Amino acid sequence: MKIAVVVQRYGQAVNGGAELHARYIAEHLARHAQVEVLTTCASDYVTWRNELPPGVEQVNGVPVRRFRVKHERDPRVFAKRSDRVFDERHSIGDELDWLDAEGPTSPALIDHISKHAADFDYCLFFSYRYYHAYYGARAASGRAILVPTAERDATIGLSIFQPLFRSVRALMYNSPEERAMINAVSGNEAVPGVVVGVGSNVPNNAQPARFRQQHNVRGPFAIYVGRVDRNKGCNELFEYFQEYLKDAAGKLSLVLIGHSLLEIPPHPRIRHLGFLDDADKFDAIAGAELLIMPSYYESLSMVALEAWALGRPVLANGKCDVLKGQCIRSNAGLYYDDGAEFLGTLEALEQNRWLAGSLGRNGRQFYRENYEWPVIEHKYLEMFDRLKKEAPRPIVDPLPGWFDRRRQDLRPAEEVIAGLPTGPAGRQTAAAPHRAAADAAGRRRA
Amino acid sequence: MAEFNLRSDSVNVEQIMEQLRARIREKRGVDYTEQQIRELAAVKLEKFLDPRGVRSDLLEQFRKAQPAYEPPELPNFAFEDSTLFESHRAAIRWLRKLLLPILKLFFNPNPLIQALHIQSQLNTMNAEREARREATRRQLDQLYYELIHNLVVEATRLGIEVKNLKMRLESVSSRLEFNERRARALESVVVYKPSGAESERPPRQQPPPPQSQPQPQPRGQAPPQVSYVAPAAESAPTPQPAPAGGSPTGVEGPGQRSRRRRRRRGRRGAGSAAAIMGAPAAQSTSDTAGTIAGDAISVSEAEAVDEYEGGDEGGAAPAPAAEAAETRRESSGAEPPPAPAPDRSGEPDPQ
Repeated sequence: MKIAVVVQRYGQAVNGGAELHARYIAEHLARHAQVEVLTTCASDYVTWRNELPPGVEQVNGVPVRRFRVKHERDPRVFAKRSDRVFDERHSIGDELDWLDAEGPTSPALIDHISKHAADFDYCLFFSYRYYHAYYGARAASGRAILVPTAERDATIGLSIFQPLFRSVRALMYNSPEERAMINAVSGNEAVPGVVVGVGSNVPNNAQPARFRQQHNVRGPFAIYVGRVDRNKGCNELFEYFQEYLKDAAGKLSLVLIGHSLLEIPPHPRIRHLGFLDDADKFDAIAGAELLIMPSYYESLSMVALEAWALGRPVLANGKCDVLKGQCIRSNAGLYYDDGAEFLGTLEALEQNRWLAGSLGRNGRQFYRENYEWPVIEHKYLEMFDRLKKEAPRPIVDPLPGWFDRRRQDLRPAEEVIAGLPTGPAGRQTAAAPHRAAADAAGRRRA
Repeated sequence: MAEFNLRSDSVNVEQIMEQLRARIREKRGVDYTEQQIRELAAVKLEKFLDPRGVRSDLLEQFRKAQPAYEPPELPNFAFEDSTLFESHRAAIRWLRKLLLPILKLFFNPNPLIQALHIQSQLNTMNAEREARREATRRQLDQLYYELIHNLVVEATRLGIEVKNLKMRLESVSSRLEFNERRARALESVVVYKPSGAESERPPRQQPPPPQSQPQPQPRGQAPPQVSYVAPAAESAPTPQPAPAGGSPTGVEGPGQRSRRRRRRRGRRGAGSAAAIMGAPAAQSTSDTAGTIAGDAISVSEAEAVDEYEGGDEGGAAPAPAAEAAETRRESSGAEPPPAPAPDRSGEPDPQ
């Protein structure tokens, strides 16, 4: 079996969530099939500048073929087009322009997929929101499997992606919440799909003492791992944690790991250690009392899974459906909706060792049952087998014509998102008014 | 926040969250969210507006998002010298231009054109000025509304804060009152070591606590170093046991004893002295072995004094009281008198 993994960036130094996800999957599937990675020469997700040489190279034993990006992202143009499609009535042409502005625009990659798709049994496309997935899945129709890594942000409300979700051979979801959201927005229940997620290379012998000694960390601490960014809810985390620090009974410090785009509050019990390698990261998580995940939008929090794998409880932002759902399903984490709940849950986890221990044990069990690599690999292979037995789905819809592209009849993406059901899977509220958009698309095709 | 009532050993996160939220609500009383504060503010604004009968729907009017102001589509006021002869048909335009000299033979259109041109300029200026005024007025309206809204929100927030502070003040004042009573009780009992020759005089009589049972000393804890010296009044040639009451008259009224008993019960219910005084646990533990104010009394003795104060109850004294009594007995080497009471003649009636 020959499989292509198509992703926007790829490399050992590339640490984005979806990119790391793609690398892990490629390396693990390489044990069962012949895997080739198709990607761009970019390594920076903001500019998409060509920084890596085009051509083929080996990364951890997997061949990686890189293609040049046609143009870098212009932030002003991208922001302008984003405002247009997210907040105003617009046309399909506007959305396609937005996709082009977002990048990484690599027609060479799409050409290669068009010419060589038949060489592969399946093409796994990661991250639905980028140029390579939209045009690549069309080019490899009948072989395209999408790993959407979708979050509940405005992009999911764009109408150009609805046919994409309906026309791929299969979807590998990260969480039941993601699946419910995509089903609601595109009505693709008929497309084979499975909730898989991704595993992690968690060591068996994490050494928290080494981390403490190396970074001079004393006393109990809560940890945050990821980009320290407003979009990740870190400003709210700082605000709440500073409230917690006013309580003399609380002994926890906050350790932050990851690049920072925010100013870190100057407090001796808030430590920012910057970017750490995997070994240090796992040592740090193992030494923490708990992991805090303040993010509003997550497709699947790998860090939370890693904390659970290491037997640590998670305190998540309850406004993120995926994180809340994971906490409830695993019984391995608490969640908060506001400052008072943050303080209450943090104090509960700090003071009640039994509770923290039980949540950690549940997390470890949850990880073993759902996210160990044999489980993940099995789900992928099972899906390949299933697709082999099923007849290929019809070819993806053609791109709309000149007039259809210019018809200003699409609702703002934010409005579409606002109508989607919310809450953890199985407990979702509000109806999905996606049908109107889907029907409109159907009428256009007719 | 530490305890959870879980039915079994398995953890149910949703159940825990429900309990936590209930506990937060209980702890905070009415927990106002930002939204609730705004709603309260709106209610207050309505209350403020209604009695004056200004306009019952003023708030609603304010709340309604004002439609974006678009200047009206005014007709084209431009009037130039060629306006009279313009046409969308080029041929007619050419013909009029050709015949213009002939027309000028009949009358002079220039003053008419000039007047209309000036009028068009005036119209344009007026329209622009009106548009500017309208925009300014709308901006001011929005500012006024924002100002009033923010004021009401802040006033509501302050009202809630004042209510909370009142409750805290009440709590603190009750604690203060209790501590004052305790301090007065201690002041009446604590006697400092007399200096010089007075200290060499042996005390004639020690007032041990009544019916105290010696308790075993806690492991690892040294007995309190207490030195009790009889007050000068007690070293008089004919000592009389002081009255149990603290009234200046020395005679206890019939209801005073029961009141004192009630007071004492209330104190016991309030926790240990260290806890009430807000001292950390470690501090209070260490204080138990130490003395306060020139080796006169320790915290454990303070508790003993507390019990001592109520010796008329006839019940068994708790351990600290017994320890203190035992210590005093050891230091004096005398047998305890049958029913002594400390000299509390200087203590005002707390009630």
